[in-house]
Amino acid sequence: MGSVKKRVVIVGGGTGGLVLANRLPKDEFEVMVVDKQPYNYFLPWLLYIAFKGSRKPIKREITTLIKPWVNFIQSGARLINLNDRYVELENGKRLGYDYLVVATGATVDYSKIPGLSKVIDLYGNYHSNEENAWKVWRTINSIKEGTLAFILAYERYRCPPSPLEGVLLADEYLREMGVRDKVKVVYATSYPRPYPAEPMNEVVEPILKERGIEVTTFFTLDSIDADKGVAYSVEGEELKFNAAIVIPPHIGVNIKYNPDNVLDPDGFVLADKDTNRIKGFDDAFVIGDASALPVAKTGVTAHLQATVVAKILTGGYARNTGRTHCPFDMGYGLGTFVISDGTHGTVKYPPNRVNHLFKMAFASSYWSMLKYPELWDPLMEAYFNATAPEKLKNIYG
Amino acid sequence: MSQGNRITVDARGIACPGPITELIKAYRNAKNGDVIEVWATDPGFEPDVKAWISRTGNQLVELRKEQDKIIAVIKVTAKR
Repeated sequence: MGSVKKRVVIVGGGTGGLVLANRLPKDEFEVMVVDKQPYNYFLPWLLYIAFKGSRKPIKREITTLIKPWVNFIQSGARLINLNDRYVELENGKRLGYDYLVVATGATVDYSKIPGLSKVIDLYGNYHSNEENAWKVWRTINSIKEGTLAFILAYERYRCPPSPLEGVLLADEYLREMGVRDKVKVVYATSYPRPYPAEPMNEVVEPILKERGIEVTTFFTLDSIDADKGVAYSVEGEELKFNAAIVIPPHIGVNIKYNPDNVLDPDGFVLADKDTNRIKGFDDAFVIGDASALPVAKTGVTAHLQATVVAKILTGGYARNTGRTHCPFDMGYGLGTFVISDGTHGTVKYPPNRVNHLFKMAFASSYWSMLKYPELWDPLMEAYFNATAPEKLKNIYG
Repeated sequence: MSQGNRITVDARGIACPGPITELIKAYRNAKNGDVIEVWATDPGFEPDVKAWISRTGNQLVELRKEQDKIIAVIKVTAKR
């Protein structure tokens, strides 16, 4: 081992960024995390603010979640220069690096759908921030009759099961309030079926039917009119609503790149699917939601990719397996996971109470997992092994 | 209008429902008269694209299997 430490700059202090920062050995690396906000957010919990009115805190200060030897700068980045190997901060300061890891996540863009800003303003959403999630909570508490529409607005969004989680939790809550017989719940999606992956759809579709949820497929949202209460699809259909909760389009964050051809049209960073290396660069990686890879935008993906990149940086061999493990709350204390990997399709995994418990256990351990990956790794490894798709497929198909 | 653009979408190696997502992405930006050609390897793409065509009313010019891929050629005719 050389005596000079490698300098690693990680842009973004979310799940992927912090898991990676806390994994890199301090005697080999000088690690700098940059984030424009002082907090790490547990975004999956927006679901429980929106549909259960949960007051559990969803953010923690990044400085409390990093190892003592990891440095943190609170600043936005305005330019990532891959050719000249530096990150330019808001104040013009440049951070040079030996290795760069982009972990900037995704953001929402209402401007892609005409009329969407007004709809969000009125009814909220559970894919952006706490304020909008609380608006959803007010929406489902105030609707007493008519149609509550859930609309998947765009092909890219965080957490594949989240649209239907919202639908099923809203159904449960409206029943609890005793208004479900007067409120029609509709889910509109551009996909051919309620859940995009067929095997999981075979689990979900009967549950939606049983709970009286209407589904409109092949509905690609084109525009939405809050005043008239109508959503229009690219396919030429109209959907009338009294309240609409839209899963908004997600795009990459607003940082300039040199060269700019590493970005796709939505601002996501092009990467090698096996190693997460940014297209054309050996010393730069992108992990989690920020990447343009056609994999689920979830914390689990970010976590697993961070693990792969950590291994590569420390000189080992590691490749993404494409493993997904997305918790799926189906209401009434039932949950499942959407499990697949690069060589095995999605498992037809029926919901049960233990899986719901796992989701809650994971939520409760989230920040500890970020800070102490070395303590949680054996448990996570055993858990991922036990739930490997090839094993579950033997049981559930 | 008669001579539209030809858009090729390479969705090979993307598992279900990836290819149909890529088609919808291309369709969102397409105009009537455009031709979208999708390459996919996921076998689920074939029934999905057929269902998409019958639902949206666009024209399926060709759906064929080659050794290493499924090719769907779609003429955009149903955009409003």
